[in-house]
Amino acid sequence: MIEPSLALYGDAFDQVETQVEDLLAATGVRYCLLVDRKGFVLSHKEALWAPRPPALDSVATLVASNAAATAALANMLGERTFSEQIHQGEQGAIYVESVGDVALLTLIFDSSVPLGRVKLHAKKTITVLSEIMRTLKEAPPIKFDADFGSNAVSMLDDLLG
Amino acid sequence: MSTINFAAREINCKIVYYGPGMSGKTTNLKQVFAKVPGHLRGEMVSLATEDERTLFFDFLPLDLGSVQGFKTRFHLYTVPGQVFYNASRKLILRGVDGIVFVADSAPNRLRANAESMRNLRENLLEHGIDVKEVPMILQINKRDLDGALSTEMIRAVIDPKHELQWHEAVADQGRGVFETLKTVSRLVLERLAKGQ
Repeated sequence: MIEPSLALYGDAFDQVETQVEDLLAATGVRYCLLVDRKGFVLSHKEALWAPRPPALDSVATLVASNAAATAALANMLGERTFSEQIHQGEQGAIYVESVGDVALLTLIFDSSVPLGRVKLHAKKTITVLSEIMRTLKEAPPIKFDADFGSNAVSMLDDLLG
Repeated sequence: MSTINFAAREINCKIVYYGPGMSGKTTNLKQVFAKVPGHLRGEMVSLATEDERTLFFDFLPLDLGSVQGFKTRFHLYTVPGQVFYNASRKLILRGVDGIVFVADSAPNRLRANAESMRNLRENLLEHGIDVKEVPMILQINKRDLDGALSTEMIRAVIDPKHELQWHEAVADQGRGVFETLKTVSRLVLERLAKGQ
């Protein structure tokens, strides 16, 4: 299809979760997400003290769409990409940086958190995540059971009539 | 291809509603949002202009339930139909797993339908894929209009070889909306089951 497929499982998933959790602790941000380029959440951690996050599906979709639009703008200006995005408000900020061509690391934090600290730790984490994502591309194709199709149709009947 | 998170046991699929401006793409999503129980859907996000024309996209996440232990989630998107927003349409098509082409039955929109389908083919080709590779459903909307074009005429310009499954709809009354969604969802999941 248009985007490379991502099949996150086993050790790779555990490693991603650990990296995201470590980054959350090191930076002091509220929420830390790894989002694929299609706008799906691959991993998400939030600080114990953080209030309930906004709808993560919506956050991920807007982050991915914003990154896609920014990349298109970069191409029009002769750049391969603009790798990072920072949006700063009065109370908080969001920092987004590419993890290779497949994912986006997203950190949402209060304005009291130094941006420099966020960027420093995020870039270290991205180096590790990029390597994990590289191995994901070499994952074997996934096979579902023979009943998967019929089970899916039954589920659709239940939900959509 | 869908995003599969084996550890979290999730399958995520992206469905895009495509078609000419004002054909009823956003209306389809609004009907789904209104009628699906709240615990099965997320917030609907609309990036629209002040006069409620889609500027970038509408977005609605849907939890379909579990299939063989996998939580199955569909993300529904619309594209902006107006001709000059083509850059946005290309972006929304990235990673698409299934397409609903919403055609307009209004008598003066035959050409707009045909041009939108041609635009879809071109945009997919720019991503390196043939339109036949993507599960697609044709929804012929606004069947309640006076002087509505015949379905044969619309199919003749959009799908002359009659390769697409199709549904008639009056989306603003909810007619045909769920039938369309169900058909495209089934095609996407069947394709997934085949490992394509």
